[in-house]
Amino acid sequence: MANPRSPGTETSAPLRVSGGVFTLSILHLESNNPQQLAQRIAEEHQRHPAAADFHRHAPVVLDLSAIPEEAPLALTEILNVLRAADWFPVGLRNAAPRHQALAQDLNLPVLRGQDRNAAPQPETPAPAQSVSTSPGGLTIDHPIRGGQRSYARGGDLVCLAAVNAGAEVIADGNIHVYGPLRGRALAGVNGQDSARIFCMSLEAELISVAGLYRILESDHPLWGKAAQIYSRDEQLHITALTL
Amino acid sequence: MAKIIVITSGKGGVGKTTTSAAFASGLALRGYRTVVIDFDVGLRNLDLIMGCERRVVYDLINVIQGEAKLQQALIKDKRCENLYVLPTSQTRDKDALTSEGVTAVMDELRTEFDYIVCDSPAGIESGALMALYHADEAIVVTNPEVSSVRDSDRILGILAARSRRAEQGEEPVKEHLLLTRYSPKRVEGGEMLSLQDVKELLRTPLLGVIPESEVILQASNQGIPAIHMENSDVAEAYKDVVARFLGEERPLRFIHPVKVGFFKRLFGG
Repeated sequence: MANPRSPGTETSAPLRVSGGVFTLSILHLESNNPQQLAQRIAEEHQRHPAAADFHRHAPVVLDLSAIPEEAPLALTEILNVLRAADWFPVGLRNAAPRHQALAQDLNLPVLRGQDRNAAPQPETPAPAQSVSTSPGGLTIDHPIRGGQRSYARGGDLVCLAAVNAGAEVIADGNIHVYGPLRGRALAGVNGQDSARIFCMSLEAELISVAGLYRILESDHPLWGKAAQIYSRDEQLHITALTL
Repeated sequence: MAKIIVITSGKGGVGKTTTSAAFASGLALRGYRTVVIDFDVGLRNLDLIMGCERRVVYDLINVIQGEAKLQQALIKDKRCENLYVLPTSQTRDKDALTSEGVTAVMDELRTEFDYIVCDSPAGIESGALMALYHADEAIVVTNPEVSSVRDSDRILGILAARSRRAEQGEEPVKEHLLLTRYSPKRVEGGEMLSLQDVKELLRTPLLGVIPESEVILQASNQGIPAIHMENSDVAEAYKDVVARFLGEERPLRFIHPVKVGFFKRLFGG
């Protein structure tokens, strides 16, 4: 019987493919004119020589959200301008379907970015769905007792009295508690991760911002003190309120 | 038009019935026409504490079910001229209390009395909800320990949400806190929550502090409301509670440990 384990099968381990996240520069293309781009880059690098150094051999993604779909795109020339300026164009984003086809012909990847239809309009930023200013807030001036639950839909919750143990205060926006916060407080429950919890005396059982939560014990350094809770980099931060 | 007061707590065994009996007696001693109602269907106790258990013929459930008239069920207290007891049934369960029936009884009593004191059962089920539903004011009885305080907090929340006044958007039920079984010595030793702790946790106006005392046990066993136990601190404390409830100013008593003098300690006076 021949040995089934031939040297070939022994070494052919599967190809290693893994995911990775990279930070890339994005160049927002202002027009479809390659000469104009070359001129703008030259101007910029002349004014800020350090910028030229910084951009040298830097991978760059072209953002085409400012280029209308019907506009002709001399993609090859544009790429040449960039390469002449020592950039490494590595992809496109926010490209119209026609422009995407051009990129595929040049073996240039089309990266997923924001939806082209929702391209940013720098002149007039869309009215932000800022929960904190919406009229859906809730102001409570009596203690919230154990077993009670108050929810400020679409806004901030302000409690001018105590939130007692076993009570729950919930808001789509921020939560302000001016008495002791002894129960649970859940801010930004609709995913608003900029929401915060403010309290004059932190004695909470549980705090949560946009789904991140933690429980608290009385040995916390800010226990019984004025504090704010917010989320940053997928982590809850508790800091003293020093005014 | 009578004022309806519920004596409630959430937790059992904290002194609701003792307080109901003493408080109702105190109001009657002040000359107000008062009725005290036992809402603890199936665990009838108020009649024992009031010493009228052998005179119960008809009860609240009989009245609600139309088997007796209200006048037949009301028992006149043997110590106070103006006090009546409306006992509950020992054999039925709390499902026998219907909200229409309770409302009808309350409406009838309202026209005849100055104060209606409702002795609530423990818990937060239908019996307790019935007892507090019609309340104009509530006395929340709390012991100086954490589980009692937490249950009181819960019942205060229910008062604010489930009472008739809350449902009809009227002025909320007026809340009073009554701290019972308070032992200043054990507070000093750190075994009990202090008055300040409880006030800080519940943030409800304090109506009074009833000291822990053997007199309560003697009173219960003899069927005498504690307020009648002459020369006891418990009776004095309940009299203060009634006075404060009626709007009089009374300093808090029995909240500091009694200092035993040197000679008394020496000779065991």
